[in-house]
Amino acid sequence: MRQTYGKQLPGMRLSDLPGKLIVIEGTDGAGRSTQINLLKPWLEELGHAVLDTGMTRSRLAGEGIRRAKEGNHLGRVTQSLFYATDFIDRLEKEIVPALRAGFIVLTDRYIYSLIARAMVRGMDAHWIRSIYGVALKPDAVFYLRIGIDDLLPRVVFCHGFDYWESGLDLYPSQDFYEGFCNYQAALLEEFDRLAREYSFEIVDASADAGAVCEQLKRKILEIVEPAHAETPGVKMSETLVHSLADRILAKLTLGGPTSEPERSPAAEAPLTPEPVPVALAPQLQLRRQNRFSV
Amino acid sequence: MGITNSIQIGPYEILYPLKPPVSPVQQYGQHHLPGRLFVVEGIDGSGKSTQLSLLHKWLETRGYGVVFSEWNSSPLVKDTTKLGKKKKLLTPATFSLIHATDFADRTEHSILPFLKAGAVVLCDRYIYTAFARDAARGMDPDWVRSVYGFAVKPTTAFYFRVPLETAIGRVTGARDGFKYYEAGLDLGLTGDAEDSFRLFQGRILEEYEKMIPEFGLTVIDATLPVEAQQAQVRQIVQCHLDSAKELRIRP
Repeated sequence: MRQTYGKQLPGMRLSDLPGKLIVIEGTDGAGRSTQINLLKPWLEELGHAVLDTGMTRSRLAGEGIRRAKEGNHLGRVTQSLFYATDFIDRLEKEIVPALRAGFIVLTDRYIYSLIARAMVRGMDAHWIRSIYGVALKPDAVFYLRIGIDDLLPRVVFCHGFDYWESGLDLYPSQDFYEGFCNYQAALLEEFDRLAREYSFEIVDASADAGAVCEQLKRKILEIVEPAHAETPGVKMSETLVHSLADRILAKLTLGGPTSEPERSPAAEAPLTPEPVPVALAPQLQLRRQNRFSV
Repeated sequence: MGITNSIQIGPYEILYPLKPPVSPVQQYGQHHLPGRLFVVEGIDGSGKSTQLSLLHKWLETRGYGVVFSEWNSSPLVKDTTKLGKKKKLLTPATFSLIHATDFADRTEHSILPFLKAGAVVLCDRYIYTAFARDAARGMDPDWVRSVYGFAVKPTTAFYFRVPLETAIGRVTGARDGFKYYEAGLDLGLTGDAEDSFRLFQGRILEEYEKMIPEFGLTVIDATLPVEAQQAQVRQIVQCHLDSAKELRIRP
């Protein structure tokens, strides 16, 4: 049985939603869409049906929001509610039907971005949370975290400064650079608060896209293929891989044995099951294919 | 003068209280913006728009700066609402939110700045329309009230009370057919537009009745002659203008 953060919408049945809802969050330029473009074909390769969705992509309000943002008439409360309309339309018309059909839903931002943007614009914390109380709790939230210093070059050399990404509706007297730094710093602060409140999985997004993706794949496998993570075969090879990795690490580290005490007993007996190593992904893929061909 | 129980959203000072205020003084207290806000509510065919337009003209001839704002009229949002209605994309939740978005735009552009400037703002339908319709569509009443938490509390909210059959008699003669959402056909109560309209308006009427004590709506008997209703409305409005002479733009 799925849960919402508060109230339930009329006609939304929370039982029989076997799909998985996976959220990729992060500030502008953190590489969310790059990751989703890598993850979607990978998941499909593994045999999963995937729906990708994201902000302002609703049939109902997407175009309306884009047009409203072209002018200078979009007020702060109006903006928050327009985005809420877009979100609820996608929740009811895309996300829930896909989850009911057993899809993996990869969403480029979720209520957290919307809450962060509203908070930075001075909206009431209780008000905005109560609106999004009708949202489904996702299976995981991966927060691609990136500092301003790493973010700036991406923005400057990729697509340049954008009025809204620079928060110029908030800081009309500043130039794009100042506005960008101030706005993104305020968003980042808000995101860090939300990360604690909603227990995000934080992923360092300053690394290169490939490395970030490997991390995400490992974590996503735990969610979408938990059965494989528990099968003895996988467990054995997992231990094998880990012991091999330890040996290699010991050889690589200068003064190998002295680094041993750093591995505290707590680290050796984690509360959560160890992730399935990415190296095993091809095996899993083979198994799935076999299962389908029978 | 201030309403301490209000919540603060964005730059606004005085907003609609989410919970019933503690003391009656607060409950009937006015917002402290220099303008005055009068709204009319009631089911279709209650005659509220007629009354508001008579009030509008009366205020203008007396020299007040008057601004009129109609439900569902934001230029920023209307294309989206139109699309949703035409293509039947709206669910009870998105119907509620797109109307809240429309209302937010009008609050930010038409209502609040004019109240700050000391105008008399007249609204044909206000948040109570949303509360009644959305509840009739099965939305959680507390959720809807919370969505509209940014609204300015009206100086007076007139509720034009009329029996269902009287209102339907006035409406059916005046128009040819009902629109999909207007008749509540999205709820699938019945396939016939007129039957559905009747059932839906009945539900809305029930919601209005519940809101009279909740929000202290000023009830006007809408079965009385138009002139008699207008006389009552003007008398009540007059009381609130006496202490606001500065609103006059011409003596």
